[in-house]
Amino acid sequence: MSAERPNNGWVIWATFVVALLLSVAPLPGNLDLLRPLWLGLVAAFWALTLPHRGGMTMAWCFGLLLDVLSGNLLGLNGIPLALIVFLVLNLQQRLRMFPIWQQAMVLMVILGIAQLVLLWLNTLAGNRPPTLLFLVPVLTSAILWFWLYLALQWLRRRFDVY
Amino acid sequence: MSVRLLVLIVLSVVLMVVDARFETLKPLRSQLGLVLTPVYWLTDLPLRMWEGMSEQVASRSELIEENRRLKNEALLLQRRLQKLATLTEQNVRLRELLNSTALLDDHVVIAELIGLDPSPFTQRIIINKGSRDDVFVGQPVLDATGLMGQVVEVMPYTSRVLLITDSVHSVPVQVNRNGLRAIASGTGSDYLELRHVPETSDIKEGDLLVSSGLGQRFPAGYPVARVRSVVHEPGQAFLQVHAVPTAMLNRSRHLLLVFSDAGTPEQRMGAAGLSVEAQVGDHEVEPPSEPLEEQP
Repeated sequence: MSAERPNNGWVIWATFVVALLLSVAPLPGNLDLLRPLWLGLVAAFWALTLPHRGGMTMAWCFGLLLDVLSGNLLGLNGIPLALIVFLVLNLQQRLRMFPIWQQAMVLMVILGIAQLVLLWLNTLAGNRPPTLLFLVPVLTSAILWFWLYLALQWLRRRFDVY
Repeated sequence: MSVRLLVLIVLSVVLMVVDARFETLKPLRSQLGLVLTPVYWLTDLPLRMWEGMSEQVASRSELIEENRRLKNEALLLQRRLQKLATLTEQNVRLRELLNSTALLDDHVVIAELIGLDPSPFTQRIIINKGSRDDVFVGQPVLDATGLMGQVVEVMPYTSRVLLITDSVHSVPVQVNRNGLRAIASGTGSDYLELRHVPETSDIKEGDLLVSSGLGQRFPAGYPVARVRSVVHEPGQAFLQVHAVPTAMLNRSRHLLLVFSDAGTPEQRMGAAGLSVEAQVGDHEVEPPSEPLEEQP
């Protein structure tokens, strides 16, 4: 499998860029609280379906861009994203056997861990969110996983990415 | 795989520490910000298209109504301005009598909101003016009705503004009615909290808080907030005062960047002294600037 030459890598890039756009797009009112972790989801998908492509460094680089866009310390979002990819890569052989809803459950735990790490880093950087509401995006992300998985899978087949 | 994770984490930590403690990463950040400027433009596009469309399809009667309202408002403001000219002159004369320095007028530039901070726990916005327009870190930002915040990060074409309601922001204010000084701190929600107000202070609901100019960050005399509630908990040393910002923090799209006399008090005194002499010289006092004439 890993002997194959990479094909249509630009699709992966494009999905990451769209995820980056979605994660900074302005949302009305308090919907910000529900914003799914787009970059984390996309990174998890590619790590799950194309493990030989890795993608940890790519996820980390997009974390860097997110830091620049949202004015955080450089490197802050890189750690949780790299961690998500790492955990998914470690679990991918089991995860691929799971039905989608079970994948979503495991992913919820993984994203939750990533959010906790992010909270920890944010606290170190001096802006600790006053509530536990930072865990809400984990829930919306897990719910979204079902549709995102189908959409990205379709995209992957359509453009024959491997 | 684990090695790569470890390398990335170490790299992240190093970047964070360097970014937090030193200035070396500022050029990199600024360059990346420049490259990423289209992102703000792109994410702002749906909203602008929506606004453009609603302008296109607004009915004629609505437009006439709006026009009438704006004309009325302009008339009212004109009347106020007329009065203000005489008041300003009077104020300057009285100040001369008192031998105190004159109030300086501020120079403003209009900026437009182009992005919001995606994190729900910080209150920051992105505007379409950057270092190319001489925006500087610490610059005060206003909207038509009051103080909004200050610039915290400058990129070539954009900059990031920290709003006064952010939980790490505080602004020195005074009560307009009696000059009582206080510090208004953001809460991360939509109101401000006055810190350490003694329980005997004369402050009540509805009081207007204006910037006091102490701390030399914000120019004095701009409205900041209106007191919403004053609660005295028995057993607490201080009053619990909440105030709602007068600026429309989550509705304003056009903001004013103030180029006031940022500098040491000595520099301010010098500049003020000069302007007093100039005014004494030609006996001409201008009314406060009309911000709109600065439209770029």
